[in-house]
Amino acid sequence: MLIDILITSLINGSTYALLAIGFSLIFGVARIVNIAHTAFYMVAAYCIYFTTYRLGFNPLSAMITGIVFVSILGLIVYKIFIAPIREHEQAVLIGTIALAIALQEIMMLIFTGDYLSVPALIKGYATILGVKVFYQQLITFASVLVVLGLMRLFLMHTKLGLAIRATAQDREVANLMGMNESRVAMMAVVISVGLAGATGAIIVPLTTVEPFMWSHPLIMMMAVVVLGGMGSIKGSFYAAFILGFAEAMVVFLIPSGAFLKGAVALSIMILVLVVRPTGLFGVQFEEEG
Amino acid sequence: MLEITNLTVCYGKAMIINDISLHVDEGELVSLVGPNGAGKSTTLRAATGLVAWEKSIHRGGDGDITLQGTVEFMGKRIEKTPAHEIAKMGLIHCPERRRPFKEMSVLENLKAGAYLLTEKNEIDENLRQVYQLFPRLKERSHQISGTLSGGEQQMLAVGRAMMSSPKLLCIDEPSTGLAPIMRTEVFRKIQEIRELGITVLLVEQEVSTVFTMADRNYVLSSGKIIAEGKGEELLKDEVLRKTYLGM
Ligand SMILES: Nc1ncnc2c1ncn2[C@@H]1O[C@H](COP(=O)(O)OP(=O)(O)OP(=O)(O)O)[C@@H](O)[C@H]1O
Ligand SMILES: [Mg+2]
Repeated sequence: MLIDILITSLINGSTYALLAIGFSLIFGVARIVNIAHTAFYMVAAYCIYFTTYRLGFNPLSAMITGIVFVSILGLIVYKIFIAPIREHEQAVLIGTIALAIALQEIMMLIFTGDYLSVPALIKGYATILGVKVFYQQLITFASVLVVLGLMRLFLMHTKLGLAIRATAQDREVANLMGMNESRVAMMAVVISVGLAGATGAIIVPLTTVEPFMWSHPLIMMMAVVVLGGMGSIKGSFYAAFILGFAEAMVVFLIPSGAFLKGAVALSIMILVLVVRPTGLFGVQFEEEG
Repeated sequence: MLEITNLTVCYGKAMIINDISLHVDEGELVSLVGPNGAGKSTTLRAATGLVAWEKSIHRGGDGDITLQGTVEFMGKRIEKTPAHEIAKMGLIHCPERRRPFKEMSVLENLKAGAYLLTEKNEIDENLRQVYQLFPRLKERSHQISGTLSGGEQQMLAVGRAMMSSPKLLCIDEPSTGLAPIMRTEVFRKIQEIRELGITVLLVEQEVSTVFTMADRNYVLSSGKIIAEGKGEELLKDEVLRKTYLGM
């Protein structure tokens, strides 16, 4: 039981971390509260389903196609829909909500509301301490860690990463240093949505694909961001595992408690907002360890 | 080098800059002084593209921002050029209130300053120069800049601006909020920068020091240039001295 809880919380926590970091990135740099973030994650999942079953792609190329497709979709949507209203925060907020629902309805029209699934990359399981752990769970967890590591390398050690962090901290000064603020914002959008796509691709073999699959991760992601502190990547990372763990505890320890898992996140979110509105790690965007 | 002609800036109905003209020639140290709210920062912001940027994102608060007149830098009109491209031309603005990237280390701030440079040699050379100018920054290179003292943050802001190999460096109120010793230090550094052959446009309130340093000075009040000239000449004018310079 304890091992089950641990595995579930590590896997869920790591996907929440990926989602929350993507969400924080776009918020930090472009001040966009992207409610549609997890909707892109859903689109990636559908894309992988489609390319696997309708086009006969192998799992890996299906995943890559999904991530690329979602990134391009994100870029197009940003350019024609969000960029023109970017300075009006309320409009952006409403716009991204509308976008999420639109994507949900489009998936519903194309794929109906059926529960779909995608095969695991590697079938089978290992037995760890007497508990069945599917290889796919291990792959998913490892992939998340790799992606998180790559993100950190990217942000800390590339020129674009530097520009992204600088713009997130003070976009006017970033502008004065010769950073093209609107281009940096656009790149942040692409990377953020790409990250949502990657999260979808990594998690899809472990979950059911359906048009409402974006709503629970959205709530969890928001709770993570609130708990970790808006704009703090480090905070998101820790908060994601805390929430993943809390969620797994409820699901496993309370008989038929699965329906409560959304409530856990929401309660934590409200509690944090009341007790410590800046979250665990304040409002900093990123800091050296 | 920099030629501002008949510049007028309005935020909504408020005319902040009222038809001013000024110029900075290569190799000069020119100061722009005046009381709080005179429009000194706005003048710099208009020259380096920030007013146009604000206008482009409609952040003007009540009403639109209007910007009239011309700004020329090294023979090119730049009043409509985006801020990041102006920086690329070598017109660098070190903003008011220092504004380091607070969550980054000193070294990362300096690297951000060198964002436009592509030659690694040039970046290393600039870094060496900045560290020579401000040995303090070298000692603190891995400290998170938000935890630096005010004086150190000011050195960082100037150092960061120096990292981009500026041709004309505009510095906005570097001495404000610093202890007297630190002020003297900052002014000495600006003198040193100038001796490196960099043209400087210095916005300040610390008139007495600035007037002894600068080649020429402009006095700005309520958005208008009310006097210009060498420090000692300006100080001879009793009314100007008492009313506008508070000396
Ligand atoms: N974005 C803005 N919207 C509206 N008014 C503004 C804006 N920026 C500046 N102002 C107004 O313009 C006037 C001049 O401001 P500015 O910052 O240029 O003065 P300053 O000479 O730099 O003053 P200080 O010495 O205090 O820095 C002020 O009255 C200020 O309130
Ligand atoms: Mg000012």
